[in-house]
Amino acid sequence: MVLLGKVALGIAGTVLAGVGLICSEGMIEVNVVEKQPEAHHVYVLAPAMLVPIGTHFIPGRKLSQAAAELKPWMPTIRAALEQLRAGEDITLVDVREPGERVLVTKDGGSVVVDVTDTDETVHVSAPLRAIESTIEQVAAASPDTQD
Amino acid sequence: MQKAMRAIGVCCVLALTMSNLAATAKAAPATTERYIHVKVDDSTKGESVNVNLPLSMAAAILPTVNKGTLHNGHVTIGEADFNGVDVRALLDAIRTAPDNEFVTVKEKDQDVRVAKSNGNLIVHVLDKSKDGQKVDVTIPMKVVDALFSTVKDNELDVAAAIQALSDAGDAVLVTVQDATEHVRIWIDSHSASE
Repeated sequence: MVLLGKVALGIAGTVLAGVGLICSEGMIEVNVVEKQPEAHHVYVLAPAMLVPIGTHFIPGRKLSQAAAELKPWMPTIRAALEQLRAGEDITLVDVREPGERVLVTKDGGSVVVDVTDTDETVHVSAPLRAIESTIEQVAAASPDTQD
Repeated sequence: MQKAMRAIGVCCVLALTMSNLAATAKAAPATTERYIHVKVDDSTKGESVNVNLPLSMAAAILPTVNKGTLHNGHVTIGEADFNGVDVRALLDAIRTAPDNEFVTVKEKDQDVRVAKSNGNLIVHVLDKSKDGQKVDVTIPMKVVDALFSTVKDNELDVAAAIQALSDAGDAVLVTVQDATEHVRIWIDSHSASE
């Protein structure tokens, strides 16, 4: 009985450690709400760490193409992300039109995009660390990257 | 005896807390972040665009961009853009001159005024046509100097200008007003534009 308890404790500990590791880069939140009569509601809350892992499943040719396009901009992206991470929370862009609004903010350690229009509202929140890891992962797929 | 020991303990904790607070206050950065704001309002369409960017971010990003005419924070300008005018000599003359109105052009459909006032270069353009625009540009002379601080004659040092802007005080740099739109670019230490 004691042995069974120890095994259960070990499994629970491993699961907890695994969940902790997976969630260590924060969570990506996507919330889409349609405003039509047959409204659809999509809500996804996924560990941000899965996104860089997911890049491994992108076909090699497409990943290389994306990496080649991304590579010249990597110093700029790195500088921007570093400054965003170090800076305080800020509304970077706010666009308003009748019935529409687009808001891009830095909130905590995440970049948040909120789009509201007459048909739907979209909310996307992605941790800066996850954005950085994903972009670095894609850029590393460039054939001439020798980092 | 126990009460006395407790009182001494409490005093020690308080003293430690206060000294920690003081150390934190001393360690806090003295410089405040400066922001550049761009606001475009179209009253007829009910549209507005607000962009807020920390100047430190702009200063960090600009030198990393190497595309087109922008390289390492410098913008290359062709000879045609200066129309054969020695802009450096012109600016040097303006910088050393006392506050004054240097150019005043009054035409039937346009007024142009270039002046120096309180360490700022001021350009004012008024288009008198039906949908005429009113443009006001106020740039601190230090920023203008930084812009032309490069060795090469056909380059503008945008990165140095941004650095100079972050050292300047709160200022409205550009306003453009026409029949429908209002554009405003300004610098301050508030992260939000409103």
